[in-house]
Amino acid sequence: MEKKQKTKKSGKTLETAREAGKFGKKMLLNALKAREEERPTGWSMVTWWQGELIAKALGVELVFPENYGAFCAAVRQAEPHLEIADSEGFPNTLCGYARNCIGYTKKLADNDFVPPEDAPGGGLAKPVFLLSSGCACDARYKWFQALGRYLDKTPVWTLDIPQTGTNEYFLPGHKEASIKFMVDHLKGYVSFLENLLKKKLDEDRLSEMVDQTFKTLRLAYEVDLLRRAVPSPMVGTDFWSVMIPHLYMPDDPEAYEFYQRVYDEVKTKVDNKIGAIPNEKYRMMFSELPPWHSLGFFDELAEQFGIAIVMESWNYHAITPIPEEEIEGVNDPIELIARLSYQKWTEYNNVARKYEVDPGFFMAAYLQYAEDYKADGLLAHPLMSCRPATYTLLHTRNMLQDKLHVPGVVIDGDIIDLRVFNEEEAFSKMEAFVETMDYNRELRKEAGLAW
Amino acid sequence: MATENALTGLAKAQQIYNYRSKRARALKEEGKKILGYFCCYPPLEIMTALDFLPIRILGDMDEPITVADGYLPTVMCIFYRSCFDCGMKGQYDFLDGFVGSHACDGAERTSHIWQNYIKTPCNFFLDIPHTSRSEAVDYFKRQLVYFKETLEEFTGKKMDPEGLKETISLHNKQRYLVRELYNLRKSEPPLVTGSEVLMVIISIMMIPIEEGNTLLQEVIEEVKARADVPEKKTGRLLIWGSLIDNTAFTDLIESSGFNIVVEDTAIGVRPFWHDIEITEDPLEGLAKHYLEEVKCPRTFSQTGASYQEDLDNRFGYLKEFAEHWNVNGVFGNIIRNCDIHGYEVPAVRDYLEGLGLPVLIIEQDYSTAALEPLRTRFQAFSEVIG
Repeated sequence: MEKKQKTKKSGKTLETAREAGKFGKKMLLNALKAREEERPTGWSMVTWWQGELIAKALGVELVFPENYGAFCAAVRQAEPHLEIADSEGFPNTLCGYARNCIGYTKKLADNDFVPPEDAPGGGLAKPVFLLSSGCACDARYKWFQALGRYLDKTPVWTLDIPQTGTNEYFLPGHKEASIKFMVDHLKGYVSFLENLLKKKLDEDRLSEMVDQTFKTLRLAYEVDLLRRAVPSPMVGTDFWSVMIPHLYMPDDPEAYEFYQRVYDEVKTKVDNKIGAIPNEKYRMMFSELPPWHSLGFFDELAEQFGIAIVMESWNYHAITPIPEEEIEGVNDPIELIARLSYQKWTEYNNVARKYEVDPGFFMAAYLQYAEDYKADGLLAHPLMSCRPATYTLLHTRNMLQDKLHVPGVVIDGDIIDLRVFNEEEAFSKMEAFVETMDYNRELRKEAGLAW
Repeated sequence: MATENALTGLAKAQQIYNYRSKRARALKEEGKKILGYFCCYPPLEIMTALDFLPIRILGDMDEPITVADGYLPTVMCIFYRSCFDCGMKGQYDFLDGFVGSHACDGAERTSHIWQNYIKTPCNFFLDIPHTSRSEAVDYFKRQLVYFKETLEEFTGKKMDPEGLKETISLHNKQRYLVRELYNLRKSEPPLVTGSEVLMVIISIMMIPIEEGNTLLQEVIEEVKARADVPEKKTGRLLIWGSLIDNTAFTDLIESSGFNIVVEDTAIGVRPFWHDIEITEDPLEGLAKHYLEEVKCPRTFSQTGASYQEDLDNRFGYLKEFAEHWNVNGVFGNIIRNCDIHGYEVPAVRDYLEGLGLPVLIIEQDYSTAALEPLRTRFQAFSEVIG
């Protein structure tokens, strides 16, 4: 019997979003090429630019196994890697990206560190070091530590970012103590890399990259500002494509040039009041990573209910720019990097204080987004295999409802595992949820809220 | 029948274990301020020095998680979901303060969420780096200063360094006594069961330090003199991994062919294995101790020159434990969704099996209702060892 193939559209509404896939491929290919040319390659977690820029300034080509996990899932080739990880004895409750990477790495090691021919996207080249992060989620350092089983003699370096509570953040001197820690921390990292690579860091080169990063992130932030327009000029499926350049390679002039075009395209749509979806009726925020394997779901939400995803997960967005006065006179690129990464993790502490909620990261941003983006609801997507990103979702839903009469709907799914996401059930939930959004519009009106 | 006040040693520990908050509630009536804390990282010494009673917040394996379902997703660490569930159901309604900690993702996120829904007048969230290089120790020490200052502001008292040093000595004495108790498990059969030790350790986490030390001394004397030593079993078991806080679980293991002789968990030797060095600035010693000497995989240990060297760095102390307690099998206990221990499973297995020790890994659901099906796995493991 012929198997019925379910086809889905990409869901991207921007021309620029359709071309953004090249950046992910570029990262993979650059690393493979570097390996061929015997230049150093590294595997990195997203460290919110804390560690990546320094490694790149020292000539390391970085790839991001988290992103590779999304890539493998999107092309539906993650399952074989997951099965290998399971057979190696890793609990199947661990992060899907991690299990994908562990399975891939085992294959790589078994293939004498030549990326297997069937590896999605050409595979990840063998790294000379692994850059892990103690920030956001334990998997992001435990996973790389666990790879020692396959990448013998490949060092792992872990970077921390302070993760304080809201009240603690506002204690006198706390911020400067945190920045000092991060600067000292990064100096240790520089020494580690210089010893490993037998090369000195070119601070001028790093300064150029930091400068470029600030510019790209500023532009990405300005695109976010444009998205406050009604109707929404771009939607979540666009964002998931265009986030790659700013999150992984903001130091790349090509990323900046790309963002200029994203900005222009979005600006044109705003100026002409062109919505990303026809007949926008409901504006929703989306929280956590999307089901990469089923992005067409969002098209159907638009078609059937007029739902536009107007803002997505805080952690993947560019930062609110650091106030000029804070970095005026700061020329040390290491300190600028520290302040940049720290800003990401503390940028919504003021909002958390205003609403008397915790934590400032992962949660408080949505309270601000709801107001700025005139959101009618939150679509929370708890991830079976990415727990830490999921921990605060119900709390976020509760706070949005309590503080702003913005309701939330929870639709279970996963970034990797296709089986967890039940599209029919999700649709039934959404059908009921639009009535809840209507009802809460009335409540907001009664409460004197602006949208 | 002995009256409650006349109870000593193991009987007293059992009573405290059964009614964990009773002493804290009584002391609160007398005006004592009570702080609840997560995991074994917030320094108890600072709390004791400022005349608080610190008590460890635990979950309840007997209590189905219900209320927490509306706040914490089911995919997260079940232990911390249970802690929060207990909190929402009023089991910790006597607390004057809450000390959250960035021990692991579960502890960290639950700490933040806890403060939104379970209100207490004095709160602090202790950020703890995952690295332990010198700059991380300095940063952590700074967090301890903020912690101290927050408590000082609440109590209106000032902590003097000499007072803190004395308190560290008092807690070091407790560490010494716990190690003495563990030494009584080195004989064959051990003089004290795993369930008895668990009751004692949980008890001392729920009462003032002086009372805990007295209790430990009583237990040690009682156990040394006891005639009814535990039955010798086939397996001398080391438990590694997520914590166990209910004797239903240890009873099940010990009735399946094992003497539990040592637990490398957060309610085992981890908080007690090393004394705190009393440094000129006592916060320095505290910072180093909690970041460098509490051996939990939540703290990243710098990778070595090879995988084997890395394993030696990370798990070498387990070899010591195995030798000292003459261990012949290891149970790796993973509370479902505990990433900190979950990622370690193949590596710890590689290391322990390399020492010739058989390993049983079980992911379990932190529920007494789900324990019985595990019995056959322990029995089979006991047969492998025997």
